[in-house]
Amino acid sequence: MSRLFRAVLAVAFLSRADPALAHLPIEGVGGFYGGLLHPILVPTHALSVVTLGLFIGRQRERRMASLVFAAALVAGLTAIALAVDVPVVTVMLANTALLGVLVAAAWAPPQPLGWLLAAIAGATLALDSPPQAVTIAEANVMLVGTALGACLAVAVVDAIASYLTKAWQQIAVRVLASWIAASAILVLAMSWR
Amino acid sequence: MVRSVVMVVGLLVVLAAVSAAPALAHTGDGLSGGFIGGFGHPLFGPDHVAAMVAVGLWGAFLGPPAIWLLPIVFPLVMALGGVLGILGVPLPGVEIGIAASAIVLGLMVALAAQPPLVIAAVLVGAFAIFHGHAHGAELPPGANVVAFSIGFVVATGLLHLAGISFGLLARWPAGRIAVRAAGGAIALAGVVFLSAAV
Repeated sequence: MSRLFRAVLAVAFLSRADPALAHLPIEGVGGFYGGLLHPILVPTHALSVVTLGLFIGRQRERRMASLVFAAALVAGLTAIALAVDVPVVTVMLANTALLGVLVAAAWAPPQPLGWLLAAIAGATLALDSPPQAVTIAEANVMLVGTALGACLAVAVVDAIASYLTKAWQQIAVRVLASWIAASAILVLAMSWR
Repeated sequence: MVRSVVMVVGLLVVLAAVSAAPALAHTGDGLSGGFIGGFGHPLFGPDHVAAMVAVGLWGAFLGPPAIWLLPIVFPLVMALGGVLGILGVPLPGVEIGIAASAIVLGLMVALAAQPPLVIAAVLVGAFAIFHGHAHGAELPPGANVVAFSIGFVVATGLLHLAGISFGLLARWPAGRIAVRAAGGAIALAGVVFLSAAV
């Protein structure tokens, strides 16, 4: 009895074990490509990079905001590599909502404020992207991928937004930003519930 | 021997029970489920549909900048109403407010009312609070919140777009009559919603 019982018990415990699903945007895609896709496929991150890209694309001086974003992103990823763990999703969503409202209102804030928002976007995106990798080397590669993916995503959206100069295109950008801001506000509220 | 078999069978039953996935009804788990759940939320409420379309119709009727300003104002203010609903802050007369939005906005279109833009925006924004509160309060537990909210906001925006598209017919005399008639129909539907709400 006891042997059979123990065997069944062992199977029971084994069958209850959840699979070790790492925080990967696509199951099975890790490493560099997992990091590369992370900012695009994690919804809160995608909202953040798209809104920041739209915001920067509507500014006269775009280069500095992009650089500030990249610098903050790299700083945040470095902190992650040093095992800093700070919950920042709420800050990221609030920043996304604010950026969305600014774009929807077609209001260009003073440049330092724009840089600050870009820095917050970069830092929060990085700090919310802890790599789930087996080895330190793989984790670092994933972080490099995340940095590249986030910068590329912001640059692409920024470039598209800056090319949309016709009146109806600018309205479309503002409507899109208002949708993103509304979504971010709702998600933020849900996180408080 | 019999005892051991009973124990093993019992253990297997317990194992089967605890291994079963919970029957989460209509929670919209997952990205696609969350998005579809959120997307369908405004679409399956006729009172919401009527009011959203009316916003678009009225915006098109008022012309620029109202044609795009109202659909920008609405989701943002609606999100604030959604926050109240999500956090459980009570708002009296939500269903009445939603029905009233269909009546008032429908009448604005039917009567071809052209108030100052600020008044139109405030009116639309005030009603958006009720719609947002209702959606926020009805949010299903377990839904993927990001995907749900995106789907919900996109569906709302597309309903506005549908109203705007139809409202653009107002450029022509016959189209103007059709748009005003649509406004009247929405106002009448609002009366039905109101009678059901009170």
